[in-house]
Amino acid sequence: MTLSQEAATTLSLIAAGGFGTWLLLPHSHGLARAKPARILGFLLTLVATAFLLRGASAPGSGLSTLFFYIFAMAAVLSAVLTVTSISPIHSALWFASVVLATSGLFLMTGAQFLAAATVIVYAGAIIVTFLFVVMLASVSGHALYDRSSRMPARATLASVLLLWTLLYAIQSSAGTPATTVANPTPPLRPASSLASVPTTPADREAAARVLAAAVPARSHLPRYDQQPLPGVPPRHVASLGATLFTDHLIAVQLAAVLLFIALVAGASISRPKPLIRPVDRRKHDDAHPVSTPATANAR
Amino acid sequence: MPSEPFSFDLLSANLAIGAALVAIGMIGFVARRNLIVMFLSAEMMLQGVALTLVAFGRYHGNWTGQVLTIMILAVAACEAAIALVLVLVLYGRRHSLDASLWQDIRDPGQPPTLDRPEEAEPIEPGTDLGPEAYPHLTPAGIEPPHASTPWIERRD
Repeated sequence: MTLSQEAATTLSLIAAGGFGTWLLLPHSHGLARAKPARILGFLLTLVATAFLLRGASAPGSGLSTLFFYIFAMAAVLSAVLTVTSISPIHSALWFASVVLATSGLFLMTGAQFLAAATVIVYAGAIIVTFLFVVMLASVSGHALYDRSSRMPARATLASVLLLWTLLYAIQSSAGTPATTVANPTPPLRPASSLASVPTTPADREAAARVLAAAVPARSHLPRYDQQPLPGVPPRHVASLGATLFTDHLIAVQLAAVLLFIALVAGASISRPKPLIRPVDRRKHDDAHPVSTPATANAR
Repeated sequence: MPSEPFSFDLLSANLAIGAALVAIGMIGFVARRNLIVMFLSAEMMLQGVALTLVAFGRYHGNWTGQVLTIMILAVAACEAAIALVLVLVLYGRRHSLDASLWQDIRDPGQPPTLDRPEEAEPIEPGTDLGPEAYPHLTPAGIEPPHASTPWIERRD
């Protein structure tokens, strides 16, 4: 088996990052790692991430490239610190940083609504996580299960192999016809809806009937056949909503059903059972002595 | 910015970040033992998948990636609700967030994972133990009456 130079470089970079992450992870028996080892681990992860992202050349102004690098590095490094922090409070804070960096990447990718929605949704999730940590965490410093991790070397090795496989697949697809034909992709428009896909007149007529029923004339949603005016930026949230509520209407209803089922499930399994008082336990044992199989059959 | 073209280089960079988030989240889910940190790692893997979907949708010039990401948000909300309730229920059973306390429900015949607390680094007396650390006081006065059996057992 021969590796191309690019694949070998990627593998060595990922291995360096994985070694740094392993140095940052808690020891499997709770031994404290020396501070220089932790600093070395962080620097290794930092350098490996920076070199792995070196090929990302954002077109356009240098400022958007700079922001892309900042968000990308922040996302990956905060992720490493999320899984390696000993204190769950620090893990939650670093996870908040991951969410913010990911939202920045969403913004750079043209998903303004999702950037805002992710921040709003995960802010609530992180506050709830804080509540849980404050409510349930150990009262005397960091517990042993926080200071130790299970099989850190093997877990890191598995993740290094997974990441290398994924990056190899991404890199090896560069230059194939599928990645060069549609290049560069035009920005998202309302007409990017799937409803604009039908080509035959009969299909187009059917799609128009569905669209007319789903988006009535009095609606403010942009229609799929409506071209944006020149010079006017396309309406982002309205276009996303139009796609969501026409092309993916059943998926939206299924998501609603799923949320309702999760609500019912959460409420039903979280109800605490009442405590047994020792007095009641004695009364219960006196009234119902332990029945042997013979007496159970006789009854 | 959104009006600029989205090249394959940018797509592959976004995919690489998403893949890295998934891999790092897998490390956290497999290696960490705190149930809350495991939950955070699973959420982080979902973030990586969402980044991948948004980048693919932008590259192909349609909204499907963002719609799928909205679905991921809904599924993540369900997952968070049920996972946190499960954390509460498991904590109520064993009074700890340690996932290793539940290793008796693994497949039979697996070797048990045992803690070796004597090897662990002891917490020095001078370290800051957080806001919930209380000083040790000498007991004084009469011991108040309390139940001999603690009320920890719950009805079925």
